[in-house]
Amino acid sequence: MSRPEIKTHRALWQEIEGLPIIGVFLALIGVFMVTAPESFLGYRIYMTFLGTVTPPLILGLGLTLVITAGEIDLSFPSVMKMSGLTFAYLVKFEIFPLDAGLADKHDLLPYLALLAALIVGAAIGFINGVLIARVGIPSIIATLATLFVWEGATVILSGGLSHNIRQIGDYSIYDVLTGRIGPVPVQALWALGLAVVTWFVLNRRRFGEHLLFIGDNPEVARVLGVDVVREKIKLFTLMGVLGALAGVVLTLDNKNFFTTQGSGYLLIVMAAVFIGGTSITGGKGSIVGTFFASFIVGSIEAGIVASGLGGFWTRLVVGLVFLTAVIVHIFMENPRKFEVFRQLVGFRFGHRPGTGPPGGAVGGAGPPPPT
Amino acid sequence: MAGKGYDHAIRMENIRMSFGAVLALNDVSLAVGRNEIVGLLGDNGAGKSTLIKIMTGVLRPTAGDLYIRDESIDWRSYSVLASHDHGIETVYQDKSLGEKQPLWRNFFVGRQITNRFGFIDVASEKEIAQEILLKSIGFTGAGITVDSLVSDLSGGERQGIAIGRAMYFDADLIVLDEPTAALAIREVRKVLNFIGGIKESGRACVYIDHNIAHVHEVADRLVVIERGEIVADIAKGEMGLADLTDFLIELQGRRENVPA
Amino acid sequence: MFDNRMILKALALAGLVLGLGIPSGAGAQKLGEGMVMYFQMGGVPGGGATLPRTNGARAAAAAFGVTLKEQYSSWQPEKMLNQFREAMAADPACIEIMGHPGNDAFIDLVDEARGRDIVVTSGNAPLKKLFEAHQMGGFGYAGVELYTGGWITGKQMIAHGGLKAGDRALVYGLLKEGERGLSTKGIKEALEDGGLKVDYLEISPEVNLDPSLAAPILTAAIVRNRDLKAIGTQHGTVTSFFAKILRDAGKKPGEIITGGIDLAPATIDGLKDGYVTVVLDQQLYLQGFLPVMQCVLSKKYGFTGLNINTGAGVVTTKTIDKLAPLIEAGIR
Repeated sequence: MSRPEIKTHRALWQEIEGLPIIGVFLALIGVFMVTAPESFLGYRIYMTFLGTVTPPLILGLGLTLVITAGEIDLSFPSVMKMSGLTFAYLVKFEIFPLDAGLADKHDLLPYLALLAALIVGAAIGFINGVLIARVGIPSIIATLATLFVWEGATVILSGGLSHNIRQIGDYSIYDVLTGRIGPVPVQALWALGLAVVTWFVLNRRRFGEHLLFIGDNPEVARVLGVDVVREKIKLFTLMGVLGALAGVVLTLDNKNFFTTQGSGYLLIVMAAVFIGGTSITGGKGSIVGTFFASFIVGSIEAGIVASGLGGFWTRLVVGLVFLTAVIVHIFMENPRKFEVFRQLVGFRFGHRPGTGPPGGAVGGAGPPPPT
Repeated sequence: MAGKGYDHAIRMENIRMSFGAVLALNDVSLAVGRNEIVGLLGDNGAGKSTLIKIMTGVLRPTAGDLYIRDESIDWRSYSVLASHDHGIETVYQDKSLGEKQPLWRNFFVGRQITNRFGFIDVASEKEIAQEILLKSIGFTGAGITVDSLVSDLSGGERQGIAIGRAMYFDADLIVLDEPTAALAIREVRKVLNFIGGIKESGRACVYIDHNIAHVHEVADRLVVIERGEIVADIAKGEMGLADLTDFLIELQGRRENVPA
Repeated sequence: MFDNRMILKALALAGLVLGLGIPSGAGAQKLGEGMVMYFQMGGVPGGGATLPRTNGARAAAAAFGVTLKEQYSSWQPEKMLNQFREAMAADPACIEIMGHPGNDAFIDLVDEARGRDIVVTSGNAPLKKLFEAHQMGGFGYAGVELYTGGWITGKQMIAHGGLKAGDRALVYGLLKEGERGLSTKGIKEALEDGGLKVDYLEISPEVNLDPSLAAPILTAAIVRNRDLKAIGTQHGTVTSFFAKILRDAGKKPGEIITGGIDLAPATIDGLKDGYVTVVLDQQLYLQGFLPVMQCVLSKKYGFTGLNINTGAGVVTTKTIDKLAPLIEAGIR
């Protein structure tokens, strides 16, 4: 019995995780260097990106784990609001007044505010996990609901007001989390470290392997001994903590809490995860892909603007890049589809020398299938 | 192998399983001898899967007792991982393996080999996985490595992996849940031979199948479940295949004719 | 003091400068030739509250020879801050910002930009502290002077609606919002100054995020208050719901005098039908045109920043028809 041609041996270029995305990223930067040299040939814009991409990147790392496990979390913008508010409120109304006019500050107190914000995020994530894993609400519905609930809570608690915390620049936490080493934003280094840790969690820890199997097939995971409920709750709690961290980093970097913060991240973080190659069906996830895709998504608009293409074109170009990246992934996963595509394109343009009219030469005109 | 001083690999007594108002298993008792192949027959929804899930730690019954190697087992401490520790391995028809995952992960999920810091020892896992691959059944093999994804394998090869895994972990009782359902004839033969091998190596097996002929060939005993109850317990040799088939048809007819 | 005069002065100055800048021969060099300006437009490309501003900025950029880089932020303050950082990294001649993130959020960033000799100016929403700090360096403002705009709206409601002392009016606004609340303060005090009895209702955060929620609230207020003669607001989207609210409350056009702001499509229809009496026109086109001019003049000649109130007049049922073609072209 002949087996259909299945590639069980992967070529080297397919083995390196995230290679297609790294390629797309470099190509994009290359294009921008030509179309917007005054921005992209200098170092400043890249330093700016390192700062602005960090919060969505942190979110993307968490979301990669969530989607690998076959779930989704839409509530993280609201976690960013709640954690940002917690941090800003504690810092502005509890810590700053303590230090008014003092030469020495309670320099470590803002770290407690950070901890409080992380706990708030963990709590929101935990509730998500229980609703999804215990009560059984599909994650897209549950997190859509909690997205609204916690956004509403933020508005009510903050009275609709934003909070400025400019003084935080005098405290060490500002430099530790969002300062500069030379021109390099420190938060990017934290994000890089977090990316490395997340890679190891997904690929080299029991928890990560459990997520892979849960995303692959929860029934299979269950009968193989994975406590699906417990792992999902852990997962969403972790996502809550990461959302809170992103929220605090953003609030620190702006030295301001905005009631709208995070809302704009929902789609771009999801786009980054999928452009990066993580499958929507779960069971497989790429941290490296998410890492570079976050930079792609974070730099496109600035590149388009700097190229003078004007705002009207932004959405279109972003969509095309998205589409291209996703198609590249599919072709790399499944080279057969590329052959089909090539044959299709061959037909549309009607000619390949010597093969006669299109429509009649299906099997003959194409190249031999890969072994 | 574990100390051989016991009579029954597994004994389940008076098992009752309710899902809300639905009674899936009604006072079912099943014993499997130390070196016995028990074939489990019954239509879909009869309760076979539920019984197996209870046996292997996936589900907890509403009532009943469990004895593994003659030792009484506390349900509260029983789980899939615990069943592995007790020497029970299961091979399911189509949910034994994570399809998108590589073979080496599939061998060890749930009981990963970890190093001092809690990180999965990928090198060791792959090494052992390689061993299992070589010894396993069903491999025409070219191009399949421990890094191959399950989705790259044919049905027979997947069963081979699942069975190889069960063998490696040295089970005293192997439970096979419809292992031949999706297989070609040559592969079915291999599975049946494998079951014969279980018998020869002194172990026990619970073998579930729809195909009466298969079960009849290898089982020492045939147990028939119908609507949550055991309705027949036939020893090998008591009936030939033809008689068995008639018997089962009559059984089903009798149940169907009972007014609702 | 009416800022109409100031606008005329500014435009006259522009005309003069442009006139001087265009010699009779060929090879004319435009005033802003070679300058790059990053301009934050606010909403989304082509959006109702953004398009006239975009058109104004583009027209000015073409006239002055400035290369315009447009940025859109969907009104999200944190995105505006990011876009400022991205603009700075390109070392342009000028950057235009809006006041939504607030003075404190911008201070350090603007200081850094000024340190790199980038001219920063503003529009649409005011930044009083930054204006005071950087006016000498070219920091201007082209937008509605909030209090004045509200005052004008209130006064025009009285004039065009025939309101009298003793009439009852409702003001729906954002007094609590600090600087943004000044516009509400203006309209409220203008009506009180005219002798009306003014009830005040605060726009809740929920309605601010989703203004369609205002409809049932205001309809209920109308039904509850039999002798209500006027409703005023300085919230653009709430204004666009006035016609629907009055219809739902069973009122005929002119029974209740209304005053609002901005020319959203529903507001334009409301003006035509008579449900909306007066609307403060922000003249968004000017909010795009003037900052570009500010940039060129300050960068080239070091002129100081100008504070120009573009919300200096109202549109009424009588004047809306004349404006229709301009609105359609995205100029008004």
